[in-house]
Amino acid sequence: MPKSAPKSVNIRTYQVGFGDCFLLSFNYAGGKKKHVLIDFGTKALPKGSPKGLMLRIANDIKAVVGNDLVAVVATHRHQDHISGFKRRKGKGPGDIIRSLKPKVVIQPWTEQPDLARKATGPTSKRFGKGTKKRIAALKRFGKGAEQRVAALSDIHAIAAQVVEAAQRGRFPKSMRERLSFIGEDNVKNLDAVKNLMDMGQKAPVYVFSGSSSGLNRLLPGVKVHVLGPPTVEQSDKIKSYAKKSDQYWGFQARAMRVVGPVGRAHAKAKGDVLFPRHVASRGPNFPVETRWFIYHSRAAQAEQLLSIVTMLDKVMNNTSVILVFEIGKKKLLFPGDAQLENWLFALDGTNVKYKKLLKSIDLYKVGHHGSWNATPKKLWNLFTKKSTGSGPARLKTLMSTLEGVFHEEHEVPRGKLVTELKSQSDLFSTQQLPKGKISEDTPVQV
Amino acid sequence: MRNMRGSQHSLANTQKLTIIAQDPSVKIGGKILVAEVEVPAEELLPGPRGYRVNVIDFDTATSTLYQPAVLKPDANGLYPFELKKDVHGVVRKRPQNYDKRLLSDPTFHAQNVYAIAMRTLSHFEFALGRRVPWGSDGHQIHIAPHAFVDANAFYSRDDRAIFFGYFMGPSNKPIYTCLSHDIVAHETTHAILDGIRSRYLEPSSPDQAAFHEGFADVVALLSMFSLPDLVSQLLDLDSSGNHLISNAHLTREALRKSILLGLAEEMGLGLSKGRESALRRSVELKPGKPYMSMPEFSEAHDRGELLVAAVMNAFLDIWIARLDKIGFISRGKKNRSLVVEEGARVASHLLTMAIRAIDYCPPTDMTFGDYLSALLTIDREVVPDDTKYGYRGALLKNFKNFDIVPDADAGIDGTWKRFDKKLVYSRTHFDSMLRDKEEVFRFIWENREAFEIDERGYIEVQSVWPSIRIGPDGFTLRETVAEYVQIMTLQARELKALLKIEPPRDLPATMRIRIYGGGVLIFDEYGQIKYKIANRIEDRKRQTARLKYLWESGALDSEQKAGMRFAQLHRARMSRSE
Repeated sequence: MPKSAPKSVNIRTYQVGFGDCFLLSFNYAGGKKKHVLIDFGTKALPKGSPKGLMLRIANDIKAVVGNDLVAVVATHRHQDHISGFKRRKGKGPGDIIRSLKPKVVIQPWTEQPDLARKATGPTSKRFGKGTKKRIAALKRFGKGAEQRVAALSDIHAIAAQVVEAAQRGRFPKSMRERLSFIGEDNVKNLDAVKNLMDMGQKAPVYVFSGSSSGLNRLLPGVKVHVLGPPTVEQSDKIKSYAKKSDQYWGFQARAMRVVGPVGRAHAKAKGDVLFPRHVASRGPNFPVETRWFIYHSRAAQAEQLLSIVTMLDKVMNNTSVILVFEIGKKKLLFPGDAQLENWLFALDGTNVKYKKLLKSIDLYKVGHHGSWNATPKKLWNLFTKKSTGSGPARLKTLMSTLEGVFHEEHEVPRGKLVTELKSQSDLFSTQQLPKGKISEDTPVQV
Repeated sequence: MRNMRGSQHSLANTQKLTIIAQDPSVKIGGKILVAEVEVPAEELLPGPRGYRVNVIDFDTATSTLYQPAVLKPDANGLYPFELKKDVHGVVRKRPQNYDKRLLSDPTFHAQNVYAIAMRTLSHFEFALGRRVPWGSDGHQIHIAPHAFVDANAFYSRDDRAIFFGYFMGPSNKPIYTCLSHDIVAHETTHAILDGIRSRYLEPSSPDQAAFHEGFADVVALLSMFSLPDLVSQLLDLDSSGNHLISNAHLTREALRKSILLGLAEEMGLGLSKGRESALRRSVELKPGKPYMSMPEFSEAHDRGELLVAAVMNAFLDIWIARLDKIGFISRGKKNRSLVVEEGARVASHLLTMAIRAIDYCPPTDMTFGDYLSALLTIDREVVPDDTKYGYRGALLKNFKNFDIVPDADAGIDGTWKRFDKKLVYSRTHFDSMLRDKEEVFRFIWENREAFEIDERGYIEVQSVWPSIRIGPDGFTLRETVAEYVQIMTLQARELKALLKIEPPRDLPATMRIRIYGGGVLIFDEYGQIKYKIANRIEDRKRQTARLKYLWESGALDSEQKAGMRFAQLHRARMSRSE
């Protein structure tokens, strides 16, 4: 290990309810410290959380990092990972983080702004026309990059439509909440995104599997490996990769845009429906013989919307940056919310190097708040340091989550997974934090 | 005795309703191609709400209930949207804005879904010679022609409904899935097949998952070919009313391109890539590859396309064989209406066979091989001599081309073997056995040894259906079809010890696993067993393969509701990349 390497690392896990916020502090000889903030967002805070909790957290981060925040990592564009970066006229938590002047901001390649297709701009078949920057970006991220980014943008639009539909549709309360929860998590989060774009002192770094993290020079003695997300070309190489057409999202976004006049139910004017001259009733009281069916139609509609947002939520999760910090013999894994499809590339048989790294992981940030398929069996089975015993060599796991607010196919966190984490590792979950305590430190000796 | 209309004559059995022949993008001479179809006659309530279908036009997206459609003839005896014909039965002129009204009047949309659903149902009832229930509870299925904003349409057992979505098309005009003949017939078929074989929605083999999709496509396509105007127009894209057609348009390749690919292309317009590519891909599949074992054909839709490819290619072969027997009217030209009629006949015969074959398939864990054996058997039952048109030969050849061979238990010619074991009939009564599940159960129980039924599992007679078919001699052929299923639920670790089934290696030992078996008993007109078509629950090989497939595809790990399966499946189809 080089002399300049850190002696220890501390990971501070913040209480952000259903969200992620981790502050990694690398302690060097002579008391020098360098810090990396991984995500800062929430979708739901625990009941009874004090007002301004996110501000308190931002101030705590400020107090810890001083002038030594080397990087902010925003793993992916979900509200529960980036909402804390939102600014509010100089007084929001995002303003505080901005004032810390991180050296660099790291995001997935899909956030590279030059890839975004302008509605009126030229479309390119391979690298096409456009600014130099754009062509450079397309070359770097390869075939299909532009379509993927367009698809993600469509996903935000669809999510917004679903949120609107959830609010206006007469669904049972619990269903409305589920739809809004996932839908809102996937809307654009523009404020936070804009802040992240130019917060760093250096140009932002957009990473993909195998690319440089941009952190190696900033963190002496630490190797940072980027395992994900794969580019379109990379993921296409994996045969078993569940291939969902990026074109589909464009199709779906357009399909749902049956607006003006159709589709805006809250406007009461007659002309706002498909066939204004044939309306029998707009409710709330419908003829007796139709009520059973209307109730069922609404339930079926809600299920439909849920399946759409669940699908798109997954796509967005799979843009997550997966990082492994290697300090001497210790390895820390932070995979954001990466789900199976993102992992498949890193876990593919040909990636011997990644497999070797993953086998000796010492600390694992549990993916996607403990959901059922963000910790694939294939990954979990690789970890060699998990055990039922105790001791410093045992695998450590950190989970930031909040029970009872999020469901996809299964509850989050998934009971089975939590049981496994408890029995095989030193698990810390933010749910263990007592009221009033906003964070927990996990020191790792190197 | 007088009937309700005050006449002593019997009432008409059918009525004619106007539908859009394929979808609004298919036009002749710039006009949407419409067709009149016969559906069972009935006194409809507004909706229309009849004895099997209840159309309720509620749009969840805008929370709007539209006025129910009233389908009654006007003072001139014309049904809504029926085009006036001259004395020769030819439509001379369409009323102004007729096409526009087809799109903008929800009354027509309701009529379109009602007529296609009833027509599809009547195909089944005609083929099976009995009333056929929907898969969902109740007698009347709900149909919502504008259920929500989404490029999706599906049958939902739990909601006793078929929902049709609408969405924004590429030209920024709404597209209604309820106006696509193919989609309406496809969804209706799901609801009917679920009524005949409810266990086919259970997670099982890749074949069973694919069968619902492939079969629904086959029914939708074959019933479309019985619309003469559509076929005539697709043949050579000639809408001038020319009575002759050049033989150049009637080669195998020309027909494949015009009829099948042509249809696929039309279907793609404005609708979704998913549906267009399904048909196109199944037509373009080259014969002779080991498709059934290729991983790219393990997903339900892809695999379903193999069934479509086999049946549609057989359809072409038989049609061409029949066309060869038609003489030329002038040099190189044949009579167009004869050509079309022959096509319609083949389609109709194949459709009837395709439907009847369901009765001859095991009630659980079915495979394409089972279906092929069932098709061949049913055809042999009704038409023992296959030499005239060679339906069975064409089916065998074309199924083999797509790697589907008859079940291993079938005879040399691919048909099911007759049941020839000795049975005890004396403790049950013939008459009750025709309709009584309890009686059939007793019969099975008494004969469980002869039927080789494992005694450890739960056994239930699921249905008993007397059915009537017309035999080749013109006499009615009476058959009774009884379905029994066997279910066993046990822990993964018990599978090997109790049944020698090898569970997948990483399957948790205490996971609860449900396995199925069961069979169909076909009684002849004397109440004797003709066929027993069964999958035994203790079939080690089949159960091992099923568990492997379910475990690998994640089906054992998810808690998906069977009733909403099509919603997910059809979305997957739409989202599939090319």
